[in-house]
Amino acid sequence: MLTTLLPIDEGQALVAGYDVRTKPGEVRKRVGYVGQLGGADDLATGREDLLLQAQLHGMSLASAAERAAELADVLDLTAFIDRKVKTYSGGQRRRLDVALGIMHRPEVLFLDEPTTGLDPQNRANLWDQLRKLRDMGTTIFLTTHYLEEADALSDELAIMDHGVIVTRGTPRELKNEIAGDAVIIEPKDDGMALETIQDCLKSLSIVRDARREGETIRVYVDDGARSLPKIFTLLEAQGVSIESISLSRPSLDDVFLRETGRSLRDTDTAGKGA
Amino acid sequence: MGQLHQIRLLYLRSFRQTLRNMIWVVVGVSTPILYLVLFTPLLKHLVGSAFATGQVLDIFLPGILALMAFIGAISQGYTTIFELRSGLIERLRVTPTSRFGLLISPILVNITFNFVFMAMVVIIAAPLGFHVHLVGLLVAFVLLCILSTGFAAFSIALALLTKDISSFAAPVNGINLPLMLLAGVLLPLTLAPAWIRVLAHIDPLYYAVEGARAAAGGKLSASAVWLAFAVLVPVTTLVLLWATRVYKKGVA
Repeated sequence: MLTTLLPIDEGQALVAGYDVRTKPGEVRKRVGYVGQLGGADDLATGREDLLLQAQLHGMSLASAAERAAELADVLDLTAFIDRKVKTYSGGQRRRLDVALGIMHRPEVLFLDEPTTGLDPQNRANLWDQLRKLRDMGTTIFLTTHYLEEADALSDELAIMDHGVIVTRGTPRELKNEIAGDAVIIEPKDDGMALETIQDCLKSLSIVRDARREGETIRVYVDDGARSLPKIFTLLEAQGVSIESISLSRPSLDDVFLRETGRSLRDTDTAGKGA
Repeated sequence: MGQLHQIRLLYLRSFRQTLRNMIWVVVGVSTPILYLVLFTPLLKHLVGSAFATGQVLDIFLPGILALMAFIGAISQGYTTIFELRSGLIERLRVTPTSRFGLLISPILVNITFNFVFMAMVVIIAAPLGFHVHLVGLLVAFVLLCILSTGFAAFSIALALLTKDISSFAAPVNGINLPLMLLAGVLLPLTLAPAWIRVLAHIDPLYYAVEGARAAAGGKLSASAVWLAFAVLVPVTTLVLLWATRVYKKGVA
């Protein structure tokens, strides 16, 4: 919607200072977009794609060529830029997609799950590029299913569930709302029902909250190290046998779980970071 | 930036892509030639040996040209589906490119290739006895350009709306055959019963075939010629307006 691809149902949206509904042309001049599908032309070479993209944005051929060479350098495309796109690997293609999105130096860059399908090395590489872009003053609007990606990249983050923003803030703020630690308990299958264990944990005074996630229960406490023995004692007294137990600092997963009542991997909704 | 400049850029892109899809170029030019070689002798037997090959070709060849224009145009949507799937169209739609430019550029490329193929077919048919009437052929070609613009825009819009290959291919294949048969592309409808000749009048391809046949035969003032223009120009204009609208609306 914000990229003018879909009509706006209701309300108003300003992107780079222009109303998306009434001035889509002005918005298109100022935004870059890297879709989930990418959009590079299989039969063209990377360079041809880049030049066309820049020229459609009104750049002259000369300045487009200069910019393409510059981005090829920054995004490490030089080795394959004159090969046809259909011969590219996933990581090469993704880097070209990003280059296409920023050819015309957009004020706002939209990225739709840019690292899906990338191996860890390529992902880290792309993260570095995005940080560089941000440091150069580009506003980056990124959607992702990977909460650690949102955590690593975003200055501001909004979690959406069923099309509604359920919470927003900096990753630190959001995590701090869940102060203390999370104790993750995985009981043995054959034992007591998870609900019973959950209720019984909640009755403990040191436990601030307990939530189920799949086969595990996440228990939120102020001080993990001190709480562990008490939790152990309680579970033992109740006759619960434990498969595993671990302690962690709250992550965005915990924020998501609290805000939506579900874990992200159970849903098809997206977290958003900006 | 000027719309013409954008159309030129997009035209060059589509042109390059078509050339790189060499297999389609080969099929595009070999199909009509196969028709000429394999079908003309059959037709000659059918209408009786009283006719010379040249006279058969005079009736048959404009139909082949119309068929080429029609098939090429109605198949444009396949490329559109492919470009939707790869995200290319989505990417172009976020640039400040005119929607009409996005629509018309591949259509113009299609017309360019059609012109080359048609010229080749005529050059092959001429020594076989086809009577070349240059001005008439040119008028027929303009007529067929209008036809293919309309059908190509229709095909592209349908592709944008259906979005995937199977729901696009089903209606396209479904209308292909009746449109071609009703138009008398291969055999003139004078052989057909009256009800088919009446039904033919709802088929835009019919007017194109009749018009192209008259024009290519040098009968430029024949009613079939101006009737074809009178039908195809407004129909194509409407389809173009509709297809541009489809491009403007959300098709992500």
